[in-house]
Amino acid sequence: MNQDATAPPAGEPVAPHGGRPLPLPKSRAGRWLQRRLPIDLDALRYSSNEPVPNHLKHWWWCLGGTPAMLFAVQAVTGILLSFYYVPDPSQAYESVKRVSTIVPFGWFLRSIHRWSSNLMIAAVILHMMRVFFTGAYRKPRELNWMIGIGLLGATLFFGFTGYSLVYEQLSYWGATVAGNLTEAVPIIGPYLARLLRGGEMVGDNTLTRFFILHIGILPALITALLGAHVLLFRLHGVTEFEFESPKLRGSEEKKTFPFFPDHVMTELIVGIGLAFVLTCLAVIFPVGLAEKANPLQTPPHIKPEWYFFWTFRWLKLTGLTFAVLSIGFFGFLALAWPFVDAAIRRRRPASELSVRLGILAVCALVVLTVWEAFATH
Amino acid sequence: MTLDQKRMIVAALSFLFLGSLLVVAWVEGGKERIHPKPRPVVGADSAKCLQCHEQKTPVIAAQWTDSRHAQLGVGCYECHRADEKEPDAFQHEGKWIATIVSPADCGACHQDIAREFQHSHHSQAAQFIGSLDNVLGEVIEGRLAAVNGCWQCHGSTVAFAKEKDGTVRKDKTGKPMLDPTTWPNTGIGRVNLDGSRGACSACHSRHAFSRAMARQPEVCGKCHMGPDHPQIEIYEESKHGIAFRTRLAEMNLSSESWVLGVDYTAAPTCATCHMSATRNQPVTHDVGARISWTLRPVISRKLDEWEKKREAMKDVCANCHAPDFIAAFYTSFDATVEMWNSKFAVPAQSVMDALRARHLLTPTPFDEEIEWSFYRLWHHEGRRARMGVSMQGPDYTQWHGFFEVAERFYFDFLPKAREAGRGDPQVTRALKAVLDSPEHAWLKGMSPEDRARIDAFYRERYGAETVK
Repeated sequence: MNQDATAPPAGEPVAPHGGRPLPLPKSRAGRWLQRRLPIDLDALRYSSNEPVPNHLKHWWWCLGGTPAMLFAVQAVTGILLSFYYVPDPSQAYESVKRVSTIVPFGWFLRSIHRWSSNLMIAAVILHMMRVFFTGAYRKPRELNWMIGIGLLGATLFFGFTGYSLVYEQLSYWGATVAGNLTEAVPIIGPYLARLLRGGEMVGDNTLTRFFILHIGILPALITALLGAHVLLFRLHGVTEFEFESPKLRGSEEKKTFPFFPDHVMTELIVGIGLAFVLTCLAVIFPVGLAEKANPLQTPPHIKPEWYFFWTFRWLKLTGLTFAVLSIGFFGFLALAWPFVDAAIRRRRPASELSVRLGILAVCALVVLTVWEAFATH
Repeated sequence: MTLDQKRMIVAALSFLFLGSLLVVAWVEGGKERIHPKPRPVVGADSAKCLQCHEQKTPVIAAQWTDSRHAQLGVGCYECHRADEKEPDAFQHEGKWIATIVSPADCGACHQDIAREFQHSHHSQAAQFIGSLDNVLGEVIEGRLAAVNGCWQCHGSTVAFAKEKDGTVRKDKTGKPMLDPTTWPNTGIGRVNLDGSRGACSACHSRHAFSRAMARQPEVCGKCHMGPDHPQIEIYEESKHGIAFRTRLAEMNLSSESWVLGVDYTAAPTCATCHMSATRNQPVTHDVGARISWTLRPVISRKLDEWEKKREAMKDVCANCHAPDFIAAFYTSFDATVEMWNSKFAVPAQSVMDALRARHLLTPTPFDEEIEWSFYRLWHHEGRRARMGVSMQGPDYTQWHGFFEVAERFYFDFLPKAREAGRGDPQVTRALKAVLDSPEHAWLKGMSPEDRARIDAFYRERYGAETVK
């Protein structure tokens, strides 16, 4: 049988689709690994060394990676916490108490888990603000913005289900209010609420469903969305901006720098900083436990976690049905904003309506959140 | 709008958003302080204890878990560990431990508190052994009345159970057994096997060692109650007690810092006045550090360094009351105690001294009725009157106090003294001296002017028909 003259010697790795032979590393161990993992190192180097715009050297362009790192922290601590958590109303609170009081380092893991979830939500909001105000959601990146909105929703729902699992008085009644809000959604609301709660009120089934959502469905969803988000981000490349500031623009000759290792190093430093901040927060402000949930006793002041303060205040200001419908509208508007914005800009190319609306939205978010924090009823 | 301008907008809004989160955290953090969260730290040795004791004594384990000690890693073994040479040490699951945790053990960490306590009157509470009270309880009522009554407040002298040959009795594990008449006991002046005096758990009940519980008046009320020293009842009757009961939820009893006027303002408890910190003085575990009179003996007297102690108490009062108010209260209080001394205590004591000097009483205490009458006069009614005025309890000062003092003195004690004196000239002189004094002149009858003045008062207040 004639042998192909271009074929590599038997046993040597080849690039996919019968391409050129892969260059072998010099070290013996490297060669051993290369034969078993036939990855095209040149291609990997090419794709990872992609030049990225100079402005990425700035710290606040690292906020996209921050939630991902915090998600990883939560995955690890969450797995460890799930070893001890019992998703049953009669044992849930006690199991959390046991983690916080008896299990070695349990309080620390729980504190890290809770703080990283809070920081993740804050980081997602900051990241979205940066993307929104710089117009990075515009064509051709509309889809990635929509995935980002999905990630925000999933992250908030993640936080809500996690808080509910603790089965404190406030988390129980927070879940009850959330169930009532869901019920107020026209047509599908009652079905959706029953699906979520597993009954007419928060009870045994709710805790099991929230647990499955929290440790199975939501992590899988966030991982998938995060994968799609990063994939699209890599396919489109980093949005290029024309800054006036020479520091951000870079010199004419050097407008870019390599993604790896330069930008990855920046992200790593941010990661180390995050680990430090998280440890400090967990040690100085460890997460405690409030009163155990009592379905027979409504607390005088029901409050959700801070990231839902604005919705709670909005609900109190406008009434149940209007609040639910308007929040749904805000969510839809946020999702469809790249297309709405494009339509506006087709008519008025110089329009800065998005910036004005964004400032209004952030100010409203801040005012409603702080208002609810101070409110006693 | 340029990109750099937008960058500034992002920066400004980011800081605004993060700032709002700090405000929310500050507000929410303030609320969390109301509900302190337990977060125990369990050392390896104590973790081993907990493994069993969570099953065998789950309540103790749960109380400890919620305690401040648990948060600081002070577990079972840290408190119960013992040196092999200690008399009550025994081996348990491979460790040397002791059952009783004495103030000397607590003092390993709480040095200042232990030192203050050892200087306090509380730490001497078991030294009443040999007093009249002890004779009454242990001999006249019966020893177990003292064991289960007196000693539970005053404290026992902890001892080992003994075999017939005098050696310490041990159980089958080799653990030395304690004399059941001396332990369990959490009397405030308990004399421990290591020589230390007191039981911290008298106020800081084990195993929660709750600050809040020690600040509750009920803790003091376990002992400071009843016919001979009804402080808790007086407190409950007083404005202080009413304010406490009304505003209990605002007392911030669990707060680590508990400074009057800073951490709470709702009401004072026993601890507030006698022990807790003010803005000018620290907390003290010498419970007598602010007490200027002793109201316990027959004749009250001012204590050593009473001026200094009174100033310390006045400093507490001054958080709520103006200087004139405080000065007027102390003027009235001092005068009332002096009145007790001069009108009832000194005369009654002089009569009793005369009876004893003339050998008209046997050396045996409480075998004659007048001794019971005298005892009730000063130990029960007289203390109630004095303590009532000291803590602003009007009913205890008068109806439960001086009214009963007067009845006892005039219509029980004096008749019994006359009877016991049997016409002895020295006793008769003593009795005459009492009755000739101006305070008791009313007994000889009122002048027509005095009678008319009283009638006029009644007519004006209650109507003419009330005076016949």
